[in-house]
Amino acid sequence: MSKTILAVDDSGSLRQMVSFSLKAAGYGVVEAVDGQDALNKAKLQQVDLVLTDQNMPSMDGLSLIKALRGMKNYQKVPILMLTTESGDDMKAKARAAGANGWLVKPFDPARLNEVVKKLIG
Amino acid sequence: MNDIPSGEQMNVQVTHLLSNISVHGDQHLAEVESDLVQMDVLLDEAIKKLCASFMAIHRTVDLQQEALNGLLADGLPVSEYAARFEALRGEISQHVGAAVTGLQFQDMTSQLIGRMARHLDGLRDVFGALDVDGLVPPESGNEALRAALDNISDRVTTRFSELEGVVRSTVNQRHMESGDIELF
Repeated sequence: MSKTILAVDDSGSLRQMVSFSLKAAGYGVVEAVDGQDALNKAKLQQVDLVLTDQNMPSMDGLSLIKALRGMKNYQKVPILMLTTESGDDMKAKARAAGANGWLVKPFDPARLNEVVKKLIG
Repeated sequence: MNDIPSGEQMNVQVTHLLSNISVHGDQHLAEVESDLVQMDVLLDEAIKKLCASFMAIHRTVDLQQEALNGLLADGLPVSEYAARFEALRGEISQHVGAAVTGLQFQDMTSQLIGRMARHLDGLRDVFGALDVDGLVPPESGNEALRAALDNISDRVTTRFSELEGVVRSTVNQRHMESGDIELF
């Protein structure tokens, strides 16, 4: 059974490209438009990895990571940030919140898939 | 300020207000200008990347067709062409990947546009705060005008400080090359 990834971004075109890239590599993808939507979907369906943007309405990426890490079934699920931001302070905050990695946009599909494969196979 | 004659006091107030508007207005317009330059660079690189990717995809599809024509004409076993088709498929994937990277300009430019819009909204608020229509009746004296100037100055300062906190740039990219990856 293919692994499922929760792709969170408020940009529809970005979600579409993430989804296209991951599906081409054989992963299942659930899309969410912001942190709150992602949290609701993560509660409904257990996913194997979360790939989230940082700046989003309703709930940002850091808050989403903190909320997920507070849930028993998401304490060990890999969470990656995919964002336009590249500041060390933001990376440190993400790391402290429980993120497993930081990817700066724009992403290259092959490199994204390599990282995902490394984390969940 | 009360020791200064009222005419001079008003001059000071007006000068302070105009200077405040000039300095802060210039700062915000400089941010908008910088975002526009950044957006221009990103769009230029993205369109070049997309053009190159689509032309490369087109060339590779032509090669695929040539290989297919060769296969049909020669009547050779498919296995002999399998490696060639596999290589072409890999090449197409690579070009599509580059196009996907180029297409992400929309996400970045939309964030820059959002930031510029907030700067311009803020500047509109500042100019709105300068509207003295009805604030100082024509028959009123210098005291009323000074109070009105104080009031305008306070509103302008408040609008500018509100604007500064909400427009941090979240887009640092100056190129459309794929970004860094760091695993913790």
